[in-house]
Amino acid sequence: MKASPTAKGYLFATPLLVVLAAVVVLPAVYNAVLAFFKYDATGNAWRFVGMLNFRQLFAQDEFWNAASVTLLWVVGNVSLQLVIGMAVALALNAVTSFRAFYSAVVMVPWVSSFVIVAVVFLWLYHSELGVLNDMLMRLGLVEQPIAWLASPGMAQLSLILANTWKFFPLVAITLFTGLQAIPRELVEASQTDGASRAETLRHIVIPLMAPSIATAVLLSAIWAFNAFTLSIIMTGGGPLRATEVMGLYIYKVAFDAFNFGMAAAASMLLFAVILIVTTLYLRVADPARGARD
Amino acid sequence: MRRHDSLVQLLAQAVLVVTTVFVLFPYAWMVVTSIKPIADVVAWPIRWIPRTVTFENYAAILGDARFLRSLLNSAVVSVAVTAISLALAVPAAYGLTRLVRGGGRPMLVGVLASQFFPPMVFFVPFYIMLQSVGLLNTLPGLIFAYLSVTLPVCTWMVATSLRDIPVEIEEAARIDGCSSARILRDMILPIAAPGIVTAGIFAFVLSWQEYIFALLYTTTERAQTAPVLMYYLLGQHQIDYARLMAAAVLLSIPIAVPFAIIQRVYRSGLTEGGAKG
Repeated sequence: MKASPTAKGYLFATPLLVVLAAVVVLPAVYNAVLAFFKYDATGNAWRFVGMLNFRQLFAQDEFWNAASVTLLWVVGNVSLQLVIGMAVALALNAVTSFRAFYSAVVMVPWVSSFVIVAVVFLWLYHSELGVLNDMLMRLGLVEQPIAWLASPGMAQLSLILANTWKFFPLVAITLFTGLQAIPRELVEASQTDGASRAETLRHIVIPLMAPSIATAVLLSAIWAFNAFTLSIIMTGGGPLRATEVMGLYIYKVAFDAFNFGMAAAASMLLFAVILIVTTLYLRVADPARGARD
Repeated sequence: MRRHDSLVQLLAQAVLVVTTVFVLFPYAWMVVTSIKPIADVVAWPIRWIPRTVTFENYAAILGDARFLRSLLNSAVVSVAVTAISLALAVPAAYGLTRLVRGGGRPMLVGVLASQFFPPMVFFVPFYIMLQSVGLLNTLPGLIFAYLSVTLPVCTWMVATSLRDIPVEIEEAARIDGCSSARILRDMILPIAAPGIVTAGIFAFVLSWQEYIFALLYTTTERAQTAPVLMYYLLGQHQIDYARLMAAAVLLSIPIAVPFAIIQRVYRSGLTEGGAKG
């Protein structure tokens, strides 16, 4: 007797599903459980504490600091990446020569190693020997070298700029793909009817691109929520915790303070926020599609 | 109208030229710094064009046994993660897209969805799990952690490329009496090759540059990967940026080469599709 194709198909998938269960599902469930336990390092034992980890989190100034830093970080990154990504996508869509070259160049930051980005930007931003200050001073734009990473506001801005360098390609390519999908006839018809380029952009192109814009915003937001390599390498969260995003805060709670339960609780909260953002996106993106059809 | 068009072209070119400079400048500066003698690196105002070109920074970093060890560790982890990811993802993607009735799509979506967990969710459980089986500070431990990221994405990438192959080819072969394994090896794999190569490169590049898990789970030199070593070089009292930039150039090469390949694969894939369509 021969096995049905469906049974065989699941058989082919079994090794993957088993490994995924071990490396993703089991740890994720384990983490959710740990959020309600405290780890006792001396006795190497776990103790059920109910909601204590969450109550302690909410009572901690550092947690709220991380929450507000993360909010600023996500909003700053998403809006900057959206503006730059849109400009690049429109330019890529309009340009008639060297398009293959430009799209290859745009992808370079996206495939760059995060550690290298951090180290190179640390060097570009260097307050005494950095090339950025050298350029600004030669151009006469500043009198004194700028301490890019030394004050809270500047440090946050400098990290957002570096992170935008790394992630704008994702937004640009997502928007470019959306632009390419817009029927040429629609744009031409609008211009034949006497609409200016700006009007066509506003009334035809942007509304048709709403789903790609929503996707780009979601992806950029999720990456921003998850990214803390730049903070940990470039500032360590400082100065004055101004760049201590949620990921870095969780890292410190887990491996500096060894408060495993509280770190697990904080990571579940972050996961919940990402889930809510994703759900909102699905709500927003789907009716939009239905309304236009 | 035509003047308007050329104005748009000019504007678009200007935006893209500025973008190109913005993108490439950090890399250009990295390379320039790496070949400067130390006296030029610390000169202020900056000497943009080095007086002499030197490879002493490369010699210094390549003479560092810790750096070589970390490169070897990174290579072992990246190759192992790539091999395991493909060995699991290719049959699973094939089984779910081609064999399961109705396409097995819900399960594929579930597989992809598992990558939406933020990495912080895994910090503590991975640490405890690896510790309990004695895999902290080992390369297998790191490979285990990386699979959580590569498997969902690789499976999805391979599945996407498999979905485009007409079912009729396969049915014809099956009627001729070919086994599933034979069909997979001799027919499906060659056609799906670009997708599989892309998935493999994704797994390799991700493991090569991954940093957070590596920092958490490898604290000893024995298992340290190159990105973590970079972090420790930064922590030294006097940071030698010329040497760091040389290390950064060396670490970028294994990413740049696959990226160049992937560009070629995509372009040939596009023209192929165009010719057939």
